[in-house]
Formats: sequence, structure tokens, C-alpha cells
Amino acid sequence: MRTDRAVRAASRTGRGLLALWLVLPVVPLLLWAFADRWTHPALLPQEWGVQGLAEAAASGAGGAFLRSTLLGAVVALLATPPGAMAGRALASRQVPGSTAVLAVLLSPLVLPPFAVALGLDVLLLRLRVPAALGVVVLLVVAALPYTTITMRAAYAAHDRGFEDEARLLGATRWQTVRSVQLPLLAPALAGAAFLAFLVGWSDYIVTVLIGGGRLTTLPLLVASAASATGNDAQVAVLSLTAVLPPVALLVVVGMLGRRGRR
Amino acid sequence: MAARRPASRRARRTAVGVGALLLALAGCAAPVSEPTTAEARGWDDVLAEADGQTVRLWMYGGDDKGNAYVDDVLAPAAAEEGVTLERVPIADTGDAVNRVLSERQAGVTDGEVDLIWINGENFATGQQAGAWLCDWTSMLPNMEYVDPEDPLLTTDFGLDVNGCEAPWHKAQFALVYDEARVEDPPGSVDELLTWIEEHPGRFSYPAPPDFTGSVFVRQVLYSVAGGVDNVPLEFSQDAYDELAPELFGTLEDIEPSLWREGQTYPQSLQELDQLYADGQVDFTMTYGPATLPDLVEEGTFPPTTRVLLVEDGTIGNASFLAVPSTSGSRAGAMVVANLALSPEQQLAKARPEVWGQYTVLDPERLPGEVQTQFAELPQSEVLPSYAELSEDADPEVEAGWVTALDEGWRRQIAAG
Repeated sequence: MRTDRAVRAASRTGRGLLALWLVLPVVPLLLWAFADRWTHPALLPQEWGVQGLAEAAASGAGGAFLRSTLLGAVVALLATPPGAMAGRALASRQVPGSTAVLAVLLSPLVLPPFAVALGLDVLLLRLRVPAALGVVVLLVVAALPYTTITMRAAYAAHDRGFEDEARLLGATRWQTVRSVQLPLLAPALAGAAFLAFLVGWSDYIVTVLIGGGRLTTLPLLVASAASATGNDAQVAVLSLTAVLPPVALLVVVGMLGRRGRR
Repeated sequence: MAARRPASRRARRTAVGVGALLLALAGCAAPVSEPTTAEARGWDDVLAEADGQTVRLWMYGGDDKGNAYVDDVLAPAAAEEGVTLERVPIADTGDAVNRVLSERQAGVTDGEVDLIWINGENFATGQQAGAWLCDWTSMLPNMEYVDPEDPLLTTDFGLDVNGCEAPWHKAQFALVYDEARVEDPPGSVDELLTWIEEHPGRFSYPAPPDFTGSVFVRQVLYSVAGGVDNVPLEFSQDAYDELAPELFGTLEDIEPSLWREGQTYPQSLQELDQLYADGQVDFTMTYGPATLPDLVEEGTFPPTTRVLLVEDGTIGNASFLAVPSTSGSRAGAMVVANLALSPEQQLAKARPEVWGQYTVLDPERLPGEVQTQFAELPQSEVLPSYAELSEDADPEVEAGWVTALDEGWRRQIAAG
């Protein structure tokens, strides 16, 4: 019994430390976001205020936030289903040369996005692909490795016996997918979608080059503001804004994961 | 920050090079590198065509005042001429050049970039690929206020402008120090080198190819060569071989007296600015002194920040507006470039509370009242007037020098 308690205490300490590790970097950001004046060697800001917020708003953070969210959501929506299908096929070991197929699917991870964007830019322009569509297509391709790997692992651990059982009991193919497969794989699907969302959410180079400046997303604003001296408050506000949706999604995914385990 | 940015980030410049190479490989059609020239026509004709056009101006977006100037002053004025001006914020001007090169490669005639705030290497890269529209600036009515002989405006880092970009504003390299900490400010670059050795650990400069660090190295080059007249602005290996040993010898000599004994250098101007703001060094430097009053105002820099006026003069340059040949709103872009050159806009932009950028207009060509207004611009304690700062201004050397010196620095100072 005593070891049990010790283990629990250790686990609690571990989790506490992990939370601290994640939260600590955000503390200076929070301080900076509301600091109108913070100069060396003061330990805390000398003047508090919302100047950073005002500057961020003036630079168009509101619209950029919406565009980034939309872009991330669309990428997640489009990259998760093919990732799931590829993951299932690869996990079933029925694909000939599955290692080679996996390598091809993972190749976007190896190529620098800059080279990909520049290489495909001309092609997309020649084909008269609308800028926004081009951005989405490229980011979906960039997100596919993440969704595929996540779903391959999930399907490898997934027991197909449940599906066979449902079919034996008279469920249609669609019913099996909806009532058996999806609920069992929901946590993994959410995780894969989350990763795909992050790809769309955080991209800079594809959005600039392929998007041709039409899509001013948060990373564009953060990058341009951060490349100068004296913008710290504004950059802090923009970065905090950029952290919020992924954190919110992470919580949702975590909750789904917990439900899935029950 | 002004002119520093459009040309900054050598790293990205390399990327532009790699990009250009990729483009050459990706495209089946051979790239056309002849510049596109604008057909000569009357200004009324241009105005009529511009009416209703949308111009997308790509510019470095880290300067809040610059952003506000374009959004709140330039754009409304453009709207009065029937042109919608939209600003596209980018972290690096190279991104805009890459976009234009791609569009050019794809044969796009209604591209996303209509105007770029640019100078230096980025301009040269585009010029090599024939990416700019040329021979159009002479059509702008407001060019009459610009001195056609002004070497800062007829060349851009040694490259002839050739009517491929319209002047926007001038910039001047400035050494910046804290009056409270430097009791005996040096009066020349040579004296600065002595000061550095007498005050170990209180000075550093950003490692080239950082744009500003690279300017500092050229400033030292002018000094050790005994003046800019002894440095041929056109690059030649002979001149380099003759001048480089003295330059790098001097930089090696001061190295032990630099911040952290020169074992490490700030990687960017931002890092040096931070060291200066934290009081770890007593000097910083900038190619865009316009932002200094603001940095003092908001408390990033100490209130005792001053610009060091050196008797040998500092290097000056100008930044420009270029129209890509892929733009579908050329007329609109020309109208905006002309507007930006108007005495009203240049005066507004020169006001410290608006942006504080130095004008490209020649005072002697301006109407008397505008001259007075320029003369009456409020002076900042931090920032000297352009006349004072640009006295004996040195020209920039050709881009070939820049590349060679940066490479020499990397081999001899960084590695040695």
C-alpha cells in the first residue's frame, strides 16, 4: 500500500513539474503583453497597460486570428480522413511495399517547406490555381505525414475483432464504421486532426509565397513584428493569441482521449 | 530600421539565390531576363488608367510607424486619386522578390505584387532576372523635385537605378551611444577604434552578414583606407587584396577589447540593440536612425541616447519603390509612387510623430513655403537633422564588395 501511495505522489510531482515546464515560458509573455514600459534592469514592468493590445489590434490581429483559425480547421478537416485511410491500409499490412509507400507519404517532412513552396509556386501559378486553394492543398500535403503516422499507430492497436463481431450481429458496413470504429478511434482522430490543425495554424512560408499576400495570418504578423526592436509588447500579445487555440484544442483532445479510455 | 530592412538578412538572400536556381530548374521555358520597359505616355493617360485600380504594396511590417504612415496617410491620399492602396506586411523583403520571380517564371501578368519597398541586394536580384518595370520614373510629375544628379538616388548599392525604382526616403548609417556612460565620445571612426581598446568589453557589432554589422565593417574599411576616396567603389579583386589585410588586421586587433573578448558576436542588430538597452555595451548602431526617438520614448533605450557624429562622415543610402513587371496595376502603382514623392507626403513622412524619415526631395527645387516647413520640422535631442548627420556622407560600395567583405570577415574574424 505504501509503495502505491509513493508512486501516486511521484506521479503527481511529475505532472506538476511538467505543467510548470509548459507554463513557465508563458509567464514572461504575459508580463510583456501588459507592459507599457519594461526596461533593464527592472525585474518587473515599470508601467502596466494595454499598449501592446492596441498595437496588435491595429496591425490587424483580429482578422488574422480568424483567417488562421479557418486555415487550420480546413487543413485538419481535409488531412485527417486520407490520413486515417492511409494509416488503416498501412497498419493492415495488406499494402505491397508498405515501407516504400510510407516513405513517400513521409517525404514532405524531409523537404524544407521553402523549397517545396518555391518549386510548386510556378506550377500552381501556371495552372491558374487560386491562391487560397494552393495554400490549402500544399498544407494538407504537409500535414498528411502527421495524420498518417498517428492513425497508423492507432489502427495497429485497434482490434478488428470488434468490427467483425458487429458485422456478425448484422450491422451494415456503414453502421460498423459509425458505431464501432469511429468511437474507438475518436481520440486518435482528434489527435491527428490537432496535428494537422497546427500545420495550417503555424505556417509562414507557404502562406506568404503561395498565398501571394492575400492571406494575412497570425504567423505573418508575428514574424514581421518580431523582426524589429521595441515591439516586445505587441509580439507578446500576438504570440499569446497564437497559443490560445492550440491550447484550447489540446484540452478538448485530452478530454476526448480520457473518454476514449473509459 | 527604415532602409536597413528592405535589404536585410543575407541568409534569406542566399535563399533567394537557391530559389532562383530552383526556378530555373523547375521552369521548362528559359527565363526572360531583359527588363520590361514602360511605354512612354502622358501623365493624364496614366491617371485615367489608374482610376479604380488596387495596388498591393509589399513592405517590411515590423515598423509600426511605417505601417501607420502607409495606412493612415498614404492610402487615403491614394484613394483620392481613385487608387486603392493595400499594404501586405512581410518579415523580409526577399519574400516579395521570391513571389515576383515565381510569377515572372509562370508568365503571370496580373500578379499579387504591385509595389515593393526595396533597396540593395533585393533590388539587384530582381534586376538580374528582369523582374522590374523600368524607364517609368521619368514620367512621374513629382520627379521634378528630385535632384537628377544625386548619387544616392541614381544608384542603389552601386547598381544604376535606370528608372526601375522611384526614390522613397533616405537613410544614414549612425553610431549610437549613451551619453551617460560614454564620457569622452570619439569624433571619428579611428578614434572609436582607440576608444574600444581603452574600454574593454563595452563595444560590439553584429556579425556580418547582418546588414548593419556589414555596414560597420565597410565604415571601418573607409577609415583604415584613409578615406572613402581611397576605396574604388567598383569591386575588383586587386583592390580587395590591397585593402582587406589592413581592414581585417584592425578588426583582429580590437577583437580582444570587444564584448566577451570578441569570442562571440551578436548575430543580429536586434541582439546588439538588446545588449545596449540592457547596459551591457555602450554603443549600438543603425541604418535607420528614424526609429531612435521612438525607442527612447517607449523606454527601450535610455533617455541619454545620442547619435555619434563622426568627422569622416557615415555611409548613406536611399530606399525605393519598385514596380514588378508582373503587376497588373502598373498605372496605379505609378500613381502611388508619384504621390509618395509629393512634397506633402514627404513632409508628412518626415515628421517625427508620423515616421521621421529623411526626404529624397532637393530643398532647392521646392517652393519656398515647403522649404520653410521642412526647415521648421521639430528637432529631436536624440536625432540630429539630416543635414548634420549626412555631412560628408559616404556612398555605398558596389554589391560585389559587400559579398567579398562579408565572406572575408567570416573566414578571418569569425573562424580565426
